[in-house]
Amino acid sequence: MRYITFALSKGRLTDLSIKLLEGAGIDCTELKEKSRKLILTDEKNKIRFFLAKPADVPVYVEYGAADIGIVGKDTLIEEGRDLYEVLDLGFAECKMCVAGPKELEGKMDSVSITRVATKYPEVARTYFRHKRRESVEIIKLSGSVELAPLVGLSEVIVDLVETGRTLKENGLVVLDTISEISARMVVNRVSMKMENQRITKIIEDMRKQL
Amino acid sequence: MKKWNIYTPEGVQDILFESCSQKRLLESKIRKAFILNGYKEIETPTIEFYDTFGGERGLINQESMYKFCDSKGRLLVLRPDLTVPVARVAATRLKDEVLPIKCCYIGNTFSFDELGGGRQNEFTQAGCELLGINSPEADAEVVAMAIETVKSTGIEEFQIDIGQVGFFKGLMEESGLSEDEIEEVRELIDQKNLVGVEQVMDRHKVKTPLKRIILDLPKLFGSRDILQNINSEDIGKEATKAIENIKAVLEILEDRNLAQYVSLDLGMVQSLNYYTGIVFRGFTYGVGFPILSGGRYDKLVAKFGRDCEATGFSLGINMVMMALERQKKLVKQQPEGVFITYEKNARKLASDYCRQLIESNCIAELDLMQMGTGEGKKYAALRGFRKFVCIKNDGSREEVML
Repeated sequence: MRYITFALSKGRLTDLSIKLLEGAGIDCTELKEKSRKLILTDEKNKIRFFLAKPADVPVYVEYGAADIGIVGKDTLIEEGRDLYEVLDLGFAECKMCVAGPKELEGKMDSVSITRVATKYPEVARTYFRHKRRESVEIIKLSGSVELAPLVGLSEVIVDLVETGRTLKENGLVVLDTISEISARMVVNRVSMKMENQRITKIIEDMRKQL
Repeated sequence: MKKWNIYTPEGVQDILFESCSQKRLLESKIRKAFILNGYKEIETPTIEFYDTFGGERGLINQESMYKFCDSKGRLLVLRPDLTVPVARVAATRLKDEVLPIKCCYIGNTFSFDELGGGRQNEFTQAGCELLGINSPEADAEVVAMAIETVKSTGIEEFQIDIGQVGFFKGLMEESGLSEDEIEEVRELIDQKNLVGVEQVMDRHKVKTPLKRIILDLPKLFGSRDILQNINSEDIGKEATKAIENIKAVLEILEDRNLAQYVSLDLGMVQSLNYYTGIVFRGFTYGVGFPILSGGRYDKLVAKFGRDCEATGFSLGINMVMMALERQKKLVKQQPEGVFITYEKNARKLASDYCRQLIESNCIAELDLMQMGTGEGKKYAALRGFRKFVCIKNDGSREEVML
């Protein structure tokens, strides 16, 4: 039997992913030990895992280097990879939003926006091009995006909003919601066909827990 | 200024010695399979007018084509595909040819699509097209040809997935969804996104049995059994016709003893504007992308001025090479040929001997650098020769197997 390889997102999704995998009868002991090994296995079920930066998970899966991935919808829409998105795992829910200073609230249709700061340049570009037919300057940042409108780097931001607390404490508000975000299970297009039975069983075992 | 003269442009590669000969060997196996099955090879130009692929016909995205101008200012492209040129030829040069026309090609195509995973901007495609017949026999023939082609490459474990675009189109017609919504559903089904399809369908009033099938579409792949639960009363005329077409094709493939390679995927809805009937893709272990794709395109030839039904497939040589490598099935070069060095006065003898070997179809190379026995033997071994020969002044030969 061939190994089925999982690419798991490093970070807040890791523990939740492990819980789901264990619930599906997959042995994650090696994964839970804080070892330095990069590839961990469950020999009984012939399953391998590795942890990758969330943005890289769709890449591994598209190329077939991993058969299955667990990753946030935010990364999926930013990366735009050609994958099967088979399951909404429901956890890590939040929203991809356009946010900005309170003055802009309700005026999104009348003001024109020229600069947008974001960690998700593709999402921002698509939103402004297709939905608003505006050509804007996208400024890519790596973190603390909320800072940008406060110091005059950009008028608005595109970012994930979970509780909205950071926004509120800095006098920012949500101006528009781009999409709902949660963790997803993705499968490589070829793997889904070549290992149909095993992968379908894993999907079903995961679905039962949701 | 940066000098680019020592680099190649993005997405193109030099293919050298061993991999080049492996690629040629693969191409010759494929060509042999095509020819033996009655497909005649054609060669079309590497450059074509932009209008053949793009423009209002919009067969290929304009941003994925290499474009430049001819001396009269007309827009040209490096061909992004080989099926479209075949359709052009069928409608023009071959318009009076007796049908069916069976042709094949092996050639390089060019596109700016995303790189990686074995995908290059310049890639070799090998394919067959069968023009002038619309029947399950013709559909089955090209699927069978695809199977035979993959087998000829040495790949043993592979799968061909068959779908029918008429099934999805028929369901959508019955559902009464708008064009934009159909596109949204198509994208979600293509991603096998069950939840997404459900969200869209919940916004609409669609008859329950029909809705159930649309919701199930992302799951409708696998063995023939998936057809069992589809009731023709629920799905409308066009979708029923599509299912009957698939069943007929499967039956023929069973008669040809090829059913074990085939499975179904009714949610295969990737390029609806090009294909009109049966569509299929081939997969194997080791590469994350399909190694071949094909289907029926009855309206394409008409775009060039002749009504002519057609079906065909093309296979990515680079993908197959990668699959063979990952599956450890690439034929490694074995030592072969003779390297001939000679003593000063034996030049004529040596060159006569070399000529004689070449004429008898044996690889032979004369020592051009007077390396002598020691150096010569090292070089011959390094170059993968099977045999080293030194011709002495007195005409005697020292032979060493390497």
